[in-house]
Amino acid sequence: MARYGMVMNVKTCLGCKACMAACSQWNQTPFWAEDGGKWRTRVTELQEGKFPEVKREFFPTICMHCVNPPCHSVCPTGATYINKDGIVLIDYDLCLGCGYCIEACPYDARYEYEKEDLEKDEFYFGEDARHHQVHVDKCTFCVDRLAEGEEPSCAATCVGHARIFGDLDDPKSEVAQLVNSGKAKPLGEYMGAQPKVYYIK
Amino acid sequence: MDLVQQHTWGWFIAIYLYLGGLGGATLALGILGELRFNKSKWFGIGTSLLGLAILSFGLIWLVLDLLNPLRFLLAFWVKGIAHSWIARGMVIIMGAYIFGLVYAVAAFFEWTTFKKWMGYAAMFCGFGVTTYTGLLLNANVGIPFWHTPALPVLFTVSAFSTGCAMIMWVLAGKNDHESEHFFHAVEGFDIFLISLELLIIFAYFDFARLGNAAVMKSAHLLLANPLFTIGFISLGLVAPLILEAYASMKENSKGLAAFASALVLIGGFLLRYLIVWAGVFQYPHGLAG
Ligand code: SF4
Ligand code: SF4
Repeated sequence: MARYGMVMNVKTCLGCKACMAACSQWNQTPFWAEDGGKWRTRVTELQEGKFPEVKREFFPTICMHCVNPPCHSVCPTGATYINKDGIVLIDYDLCLGCGYCIEACPYDARYEYEKEDLEKDEFYFGEDARHHQVHVDKCTFCVDRLAEGEEPSCAATCVGHARIFGDLDDPKSEVAQLVNSGKAKPLGEYMGAQPKVYYIK
Repeated sequence: MDLVQQHTWGWFIAIYLYLGGLGGATLALGILGELRFNKSKWFGIGTSLLGLAILSFGLIWLVLDLLNPLRFLLAFWVKGIAHSWIARGMVIIMGAYIFGLVYAVAAFFEWTTFKKWMGYAAMFCGFGVTTYTGLLLNANVGIPFWHTPALPVLFTVSAFSTGCAMIMWVLAGKNDHESEHFFHAVEGFDIFLISLELLIIFAYFDFARLGNAAVMKSAHLLLANPLFTIGFISLGLVAPLILEAYASMKENSKGLAAFASALVLIGGFLLRYLIVWAGVFQYPHGLAG
């Protein structure tokens, strides 16, 4: 049993979006969708400050794998569940696609995997297509890779060492040290969801 | 802070929330009329079935809004009942169906005591349905305009107001003494409910004026939308309030009250639609770019 978490270092993110590409290939998320695609992880571009003091920043986002996840509280079927390692997952076979969890998530982490997306998934990935039914989708911390002893694909590809993944319960891990030292902090703590993704800003 | 208007839920959910509230309130008020206002057994049977029919029609919209409509029955999966308002709502709605139908049967066979108990249980479930429609939105912590305890209260009051309107329609054509009596009781209750609704709306906007960026944005969206200001507030609340108050003081004014009821029914729908539409997420800065 682990307690997986991630630290995002906004200071070292280059904005190359290699993580988005890696994730969308591994997890077959609808990069083809209109309005810029649907992603399990995104890197947004922020303009901080006012001209001429403008600073550009890249901000990686992902499901926060909350300890007290509102998405889980509202799910009528139990499709959304928390596994033994604290990862918030969706059992596609139980998902109604009611969208309640999308409305409840305060971190914009979820989207609908619709019928058109299934067709495109087949089209792009052929026999390797991983999505066979409509459902709501989100980051899984790549549970399938973890089972093989590998890191989530976004963290594995990150060029700037901006995504640091590990076990928060292991005091020797880099994530635990960054979190325990107070350098990395969660977003929107006041909402009470207790995210397990932390940010260094 | 990134403020983003929600787009996942729209018309379908609004229709469901509206008809759920209307059906639940019609059921509760109809049975009340039969049990406490000496209305005939046929009135009790008719209104309870009408309430359940409205509720069923509403459920269709919820099911159609699912990505996977065929899996609808999974909403009864016990796992969700502990924490999800969609699942809990299904249990309350089931209660309304079961007790409502048993009540109708008992009323038909005139099993007086049994009918009474089933009637009260059905009324309780009908009441529960009206409140649950508000609790459903209330659970979304990222949307501060919904995440306030005032919302279930507002939806309950509005649902009962539309329920009164429905009952007035049913009674409008009848001239017997009991019908007249119950009609005026319902009319008076509706005047009270609409006034209360206006007060809650006022409190809502006063709350928005005083803080929280997302709530303010929701409030601005509503105030800038003529469907809200002219449609809901003026034609859906103020106009029927004045008309019903005027009608309540005059003889032979059922037509006027029935017209006011039509406005209340339209207003009730607009309220659900607009509240759903005006939901604004308050994401921590950076998430929405
Ligand atoms: S970030 Fe959203 S989807 Fe992820 S666990 Fe928290 S509430 Fe659920
Ligand atoms: S869309 Fe699926 S995972 Fe989300 S709340 Fe509904 S049933 Fe649960």
